[in-house]
Amino acid sequence: MQSTQALRIEGLKFAYSGEEWVVDVRELALARGEQMLLSGGSGSGKSTLLHLIAGLEEPDAGTVEVAGRKMHALHGAQRDLYRGRHVGMIFQTFNLLHGFSALENVEAALMFSEVPAREHRERARALLAGLGIERMGARPDQLSVGQQQRVAVARAVACDPVVVLADEPTASLDPENAAMAMELIQGLCREKGAALLCVSHDPGMRARFERRASLGELGGRA
Amino acid sequence: MNDFTIIRRSMTGRMFSTVTTVVTVAVAVGLLLTLLSMKNAGRQAFERGSGNMHLLISGDASPMVAVLNGVFYANAPAKPIAWEKYEGIMADPRVEWAIPTQQGDSYEGYPVLATVPEIFEKFQPEAGRGWEWAAGRGFTGNFEVVLGSEAAAGTGLKLRDTLNLTHGTSNDRAAHVHEEFVYTVVGVLRPTGGPHDRAVFTNLESTWMVHANERMEREAGHDHSHGDEHAHDHSHGDEHAHDHGHDHDHDHAHEHENPVIELTDGDRLITGIYVKMATRPGAKVSAAMPQFAAELRARSGFTVAAPSDEMGKLFTIVSRVDVIFRALAVVVLVSSGIAIMLALYNSMSERRRQIAVLRVLGSSRGRIFGLVMTESALLGVLGAAVGLGLSVVGGVLASGVLRQNVGLVVSPVYGIQWVLPVLMGAVGLAALAGLVPAVMAYRTSVAKNLKPIG
Repeated sequence: MQSTQALRIEGLKFAYSGEEWVVDVRELALARGEQMLLSGGSGSGKSTLLHLIAGLEEPDAGTVEVAGRKMHALHGAQRDLYRGRHVGMIFQTFNLLHGFSALENVEAALMFSEVPAREHRERARALLAGLGIERMGARPDQLSVGQQQRVAVARAVACDPVVVLADEPTASLDPENAAMAMELIQGLCREKGAALLCVSHDPGMRARFERRASLGELGGRA
Repeated sequence: MNDFTIIRRSMTGRMFSTVTTVVTVAVAVGLLLTLLSMKNAGRQAFERGSGNMHLLISGDASPMVAVLNGVFYANAPAKPIAWEKYEGIMADPRVEWAIPTQQGDSYEGYPVLATVPEIFEKFQPEAGRGWEWAAGRGFTGNFEVVLGSEAAAGTGLKLRDTLNLTHGTSNDRAAHVHEEFVYTVVGVLRPTGGPHDRAVFTNLESTWMVHANERMEREAGHDHSHGDEHAHDHSHGDEHAHDHGHDHDHDHAHEHENPVIELTDGDRLITGIYVKMATRPGAKVSAAMPQFAAELRARSGFTVAAPSDEMGKLFTIVSRVDVIFRALAVVVLVSSGIAIMLALYNSMSERRRQIAVLRVLGSSRGRIFGLVMTESALLGVLGAAVGLGLSVVGGVLASGVLRQNVGLVVSPVYGIQWVLPVLMGAVGLAALAGLVPAVMAYRTSVAKNLKPIG
């Protein structure tokens, strides 16, 4: 039976060498489909926490479980593949692959998934079409900022991840586009049954989330 | 979308850098392959001209010059040899055969070799392979010529066409056409792949008569026209004025009566002797040859050259230059490797974000390492492929130049046993050049490179 828990963090600590804890989270759990806003000022360790959850950084203490598996117990390619298949990430600057079309950007995520290769294109197409991207052959620099954000969202959910980590997803957008983007991200995560952990210092985001916390409340720096 | 798409996009995204890198590898590979292919073919071509002769006897100053002049038609040999000297050599029991030759005349720039009909029976331009006829036969009487394949192709002469030979070469200021004597083409040879393909063969008697006639004219006080303008006017009368010296009217030869000249002993001069020593059955070399050559040098003062030895020396000299060229090609190849490394290294700064994103999407460090190494090797593969093409084109051009200017038929020979190592070497070197950028890619920090720019 599939675990309903998407993310579980216990006693997670991280510090850059010789410094105080950048991340200090006593406990945090997110069920599938649950959405949470994590706030904190600039340099408060929000992005580092997301990198720790994704297994991109090594914690000094504690554990991160994604879909029931301890992320840092996995090593090398095994962890990379697990991340690719179970964690979706959305960035402030989208981090789309330049020189690749919108369609290829979404297909790039599917390259590492369990989805058969012959289905990649169709699946990517369907996702982009669902998000209103018509010019799928266009490169990121040929798309508007809003369209780029939608491609980034499509890429993050392409593999049906268990958890989506959104790092300041609206910081590059105007308020109107920011609202639309958040609507999209939250809607897609609900639709796919993925947990959403969104970090942002934008106070306007608070109203969009029932569950909210600051890093300080979790035990880290405020 | 697969790994190859990522590599392809990376290469096309930096098209200028990719093209220049591929061209650098291609030039190095092309140069190396051309030099190696020409070297093997060159050795064969050098050996082809002297064929089955053991010795070349000449009045030239050195054995090397004797061979270059007597076999490769570089220039007309300087000093003549009296006929009785040839007869003396011919009579030596250690000699299997001796073929007298005389050079000095030409036709439209092609050298004339006046000799005896036996040359087509006894002398083999390539050891073990005799002459082959494309048309006609060897000369049997006076004022008949046989054309080497290239001379036939270059002049357009065919069987039964007539021509006048030029004394000297057409670019020689003292050159003039032997207008009184009309020669007829009686045979055309198939290509031998050697310098004799450029030759126009005729018999000694005719050449002696032509030169005796000139001697008599000089003695009688006739002024013979000299100069370039005459050298190109080979025709008989106005109707042939633009006929490049040969007459395609086949009846003409029969209408023309060549003067019959009484020869004196002084007219019977030759400029070289091809000698094959008598050997024991199955043996290629005569044990008596060194002594025979030494005696001949001491007795007559002639230059006695063993063409195979001279070609060996010449090839050693050429090989030394060849070593320098090959070393240069290897240097260019190594430079191209460095160019690949620099191109990829420089691209790393702009690719770090792409690498970080791919890592987030699920790509392992090893896969990223492999992508960069594959891209680097692919640059090598493309360079090697283009280089192979360049080498084929370069070989054809170089062989054309050698054929045109030196008369050497050097057809590039590609042996899989050395072509493959060169190509693999280029690809290996390219892959090696990708090592540093690949390690950089492997060690790229994902967290650092995902941060917003600015």
